[in-house]
Amino acid sequence: MNLFSKKIKSIEMRNLLYILSFFSLIAIGCNKSNADKVMKEAPMLKKEAWRATAPSPAPARSIELGISTSFELDNGLKVIVVENHKLPRVSYQLSLDHDAIVEGDQAGYVTIAGQLMKTGTTTKSKADIDEAVDFIGANLSTSGSGVFASTLTKHQDKLLSLMTDILFNPSFNADEFEKIKKQTISGIASSKTDPNAMAGNVATILNNGKGHPYGEVQTEETVKSITIDKCKEYYNTYFKPNNAYLVVVGDISPAVAKANVEKYFGNWKKGKIPTVNYKKPSAPGERKVAVVNKDGAVQSVIRITYPVDLKLADDDLIAARVMNSILGGGIFSGRLMQNLREDKAYTYGARSSLRADRLVGNFNASASVRNEVTDSSVHEFLFELDRMITEGFAEEDIQLTKNSLAGSFARSLESPQTIARFALNKSRYNLPDDYYNTYLSKLDAITEADVKRVAKKYIRPDNAYVIVVGSKDDIADKLLRFDADGVIDYYDAFGNEVKYDDAELPSDITAATVLEDYIAAIGGKDKVMTVKNMTTIGAAEMMGQKLSVESFVVNNAKVRQKFIMAGNVMNDMIYDGTKVSTNGIVATSGKEMDQAKESAMIFPQLGFTSNGYKSELKGTQPVDGNPAYKIVVTKPSGDKMTQLYDVKSSLLVEEIRSEMGPGDQAMTITTGYADYKEVNGIMIPHTVTVTGMAPMPLTMTMEKVMINSTLGDDLFMIK
Amino acid sequence: MKNIVLLFVLLISGLTASAQMNKVDFVEYDLDNGLHVILHQDKSTPIVAVSIMYHVGSKNEKPDKTGFAHFFEHLLFEGSANIGRGEYDKYVEKAGGTLNANTSFDRTYYYEILPSNQLELGLWLESERLLHAVVNQKGIETQREVVKEERRQRIDNQPYGSILQEAMVRAFKEHPYKWPIIGYMEHLDAAEEADYVNFYKDFYVPNNAVLSIAGDIDIEQAKTWINTYFASIPKGTKPIYRPSVVEPALGGEVRDTIYDNIQLPAVVQTYRIPAQGTPDFYAVSMLGQLLSQGESSRLYRALVDEQQKALFVGNFPLDMEDPGVSIAFGITNMGVDPAEMEAAIDAEIKKVQDELISDKEFQKLKNQVENDFVSGNSRVAGIAESLANYHMYFGDANLINTELERYLAVTKEDIQRVAKQYYKKDNRVVLYYLPKQANP
Repeated sequence: MNLFSKKIKSIEMRNLLYILSFFSLIAIGCNKSNADKVMKEAPMLKKEAWRATAPSPAPARSIELGISTSFELDNGLKVIVVENHKLPRVSYQLSLDHDAIVEGDQAGYVTIAGQLMKTGTTTKSKADIDEAVDFIGANLSTSGSGVFASTLTKHQDKLLSLMTDILFNPSFNADEFEKIKKQTISGIASSKTDPNAMAGNVATILNNGKGHPYGEVQTEETVKSITIDKCKEYYNTYFKPNNAYLVVVGDISPAVAKANVEKYFGNWKKGKIPTVNYKKPSAPGERKVAVVNKDGAVQSVIRITYPVDLKLADDDLIAARVMNSILGGGIFSGRLMQNLREDKAYTYGARSSLRADRLVGNFNASASVRNEVTDSSVHEFLFELDRMITEGFAEEDIQLTKNSLAGSFARSLESPQTIARFALNKSRYNLPDDYYNTYLSKLDAITEADVKRVAKKYIRPDNAYVIVVGSKDDIADKLLRFDADGVIDYYDAFGNEVKYDDAELPSDITAATVLEDYIAAIGGKDKVMTVKNMTTIGAAEMMGQKLSVESFVVNNAKVRQKFIMAGNVMNDMIYDGTKVSTNGIVATSGKEMDQAKESAMIFPQLGFTSNGYKSELKGTQPVDGNPAYKIVVTKPSGDKMTQLYDVKSSLLVEEIRSEMGPGDQAMTITTGYADYKEVNGIMIPHTVTVTGMAPMPLTMTMEKVMINSTLGDDLFMIK
Repeated sequence: MKNIVLLFVLLISGLTASAQMNKVDFVEYDLDNGLHVILHQDKSTPIVAVSIMYHVGSKNEKPDKTGFAHFFEHLLFEGSANIGRGEYDKYVEKAGGTLNANTSFDRTYYYEILPSNQLELGLWLESERLLHAVVNQKGIETQREVVKEERRQRIDNQPYGSILQEAMVRAFKEHPYKWPIIGYMEHLDAAEEADYVNFYKDFYVPNNAVLSIAGDIDIEQAKTWINTYFASIPKGTKPIYRPSVVEPALGGEVRDTIYDNIQLPAVVQTYRIPAQGTPDFYAVSMLGQLLSQGESSRLYRALVDEQQKALFVGNFPLDMEDPGVSIAFGITNMGVDPAEMEAAIDAEIKKVQDELISDKEFQKLKNQVENDFVSGNSRVAGIAESLANYHMYFGDANLINTELERYLAVTKEDIQRVAKQYYKKDNRVVLYYLPKQANP
């Protein structure tokens, strides 16, 4: 996590700050207006009519690729050298090349093993290593698939000593191991609610299947079960010269590179590298819709995906790239973007990708869209995929795409690392020697017939997974029509199948009976009706800050709520029955008023089936492993809220609602209720956990709950 | 962590020391209309970067018309007398190129990277933008909404995204650096057509611009084309407005708390420092490195590795044309009191003030500066921008080859002195960023 690396430093602040300004700018389309205003009079304009036409290009210079040299050491280390003296710098990149590994119930150990290598050797602590790297102004990083080091040429001996010490003598320090595990687990926790990560997990498993190395998802459980021995075993098995490429790039001649490599890597001992064969994943026989429920989501993430058999060496590859670029690539010109964003405004961006890989590649088309257009968006995606197969392509579109791909190829050649990557790919994937040298002429030769041919081959709308992460109740029914067998499969955030048994409820259980049972369970309607007011004082801790919430409610009449953080009142809400004051700002109508009225209801369940409220029973779903009835309550405002009542105890255990947060971003807030205790004969939850409001769950413990105490009028006075 | 990285990048501009050991050759000259031209030839890849830097940033705005410089960066992609709306980028994409633009406190920068046989296209596009940009009402309204979205995305909705804005508004009372580059939205809402026309007339003139080109070019051919496209563009007739206001001393520590939609509390210390290019700025730069470049740096090692009080910590002097700021910024680890983390940052700064750094650590800083210099300008796009920067701010494009000497002139004693002189309580603004309260 060296955020001070030069790599980041060289990125310009303003580029990132305003990079989107450009992209958002092209969004506006080409509507012409008569009201054009030339902002500066330019009297010479009429005389300079030649300015009206864009100049034509000069003859293109031929593009030459840099040269690389390759050799192999006796221990099997394959070395590639790209000599480039533009800057007095040199880099050494070591990449492992074994068959992908199934990590199973310790998924994540390869990554952690790699991270660990840089945190200590048999003779150096992490601090020693950091100091030594920084002293020469170098970069050095390790991962599960290798080691990267770069420096000014004059310091390369020092860096090579360090790099090889890390490579040959890592100490696998137990404290550092625990530190890295903890960081990894917090990372996973934050991705639990990220819809893109959820869709990615499901795609990983559906496309490749569990048991395939590409079909693994790391979870808190798998990371927790990783042992340091597993990491050592990985290192001992795979970090071997006969399993590695060393790519040397920069201010160095092949002869010097060879001498250096022999000196530093010559004594590295060979090992026996296991080989594995995997069954090739294939696309589904028919289209399947997979839904990951995210209660309260207002946007759906759509991902249409399937595995493809596409390798770098395939003759089709370049045509396939042109084809995909027409569908969903380009800065802004892709068909998906034009349709879903420019024409329909369903999304901020829709794109597609077609990835080649030696085991198995994949196709992906994705977008985030508003709930209510989820099914329409899937329809448009499938329409565009169909159109790729059934219709032709305009010459102009093909040409624009070819130019754009050729331009980006040429720009990439500015970096000598590109030449090194080409050489590495050629060797790794057995590509023909002229593979990259002929790239531009092959690209130029692509015809409409080629694009049509590869579209037919690689675009498979009828053999695709349509993965949608969103609010199941709002979207699932409408997605049925896209599923070939008419049954939607449900998954959790990590790609495990989930069953919802909506249909299996006895007919005598309804929303009304669930709500009645709840009232009975907390003490009975008679008892509940005696409650005139309630006071609760709750305490919690957040990010090291003590906070408390004091709430005073006169049933269906008045509310006072104070939110206190580190001794300061952060938020003070008073509702006096006719108006509401939030930190002194008074409102008599609107959202604040609706919310205030709602919070004045001590037992809102009593009114959930009348006064404009509607409640619907939506089956059961587990809460912490126990089955609970799911009730969707629609408020008079049209807003919805989901409540879950434990089947056994009848008590309310969870509530889910959506709110607009800062920047108009929807937040899904889940409130858990537990630890019910009796107060004046009524069961009141004494532990309330709120998730989704802040990044970390906030657990509030009730320190005081009082019913029908004396509450002075001044408590509810709005000044 | 992505957000934090982004924020870091946002803060880091001050450290970008771009020059290299291998000499960068270039030619430069002025056209009669005042346009400064810089040409650098590098034939290794058949691409060319064509750029214009305008010496106008948010500090050239009027206090009641903030955000104009950045808004113009949007408007000037709208088209020209000869380029239809939405076609600007199409010309570039069709040519196999790419383009972008950005705005800072001090300048606005536009560039295209094209196949080198399309140099003339790049010159035509930039000349259209300078000579007779066209903006219609729909374009203005659309871009106004786009800028508001941009503001939401980058500042309001970005964890810690408002740090720079909140720091600057408290660190400056008089100088235009006090308002955000993106401006206040009510100013954009209130702007009238005449405001746009005047801003364009005032600042988008050849005598306020540097045309910088780097890549696979024939110098003579480039000069001919530049003459064709730019020589007849009229010179601006008015003096260019540059604020002369000198910000008085801060006069005492300013402390404040900001509640934001964030995960973990953060502490932001903003110290007022001299302008870029001054000897003390180079010393402050190296002080920033000492504190935060690399995992062996003072703040990282103490707060992240050893005490584990911070998830992230660093100090970043910003390079600004007028006297600016250096921002020390830390995000606490879970459960750590921000005050505790701040005390740890202060302790590290005090250590620099009290004890002269060792020769070895000083050598490390020099090695890092040298490495950064050499690693800078590895691409023609970066070279074009650096040349323009050095000319615009210092009147000496050759600093691309020599600026390293200015860093190497800094002594250990200088670093200790600037730590004492500028990193002191009554010269700083301290902000606590705390998570917005949950309201269960």
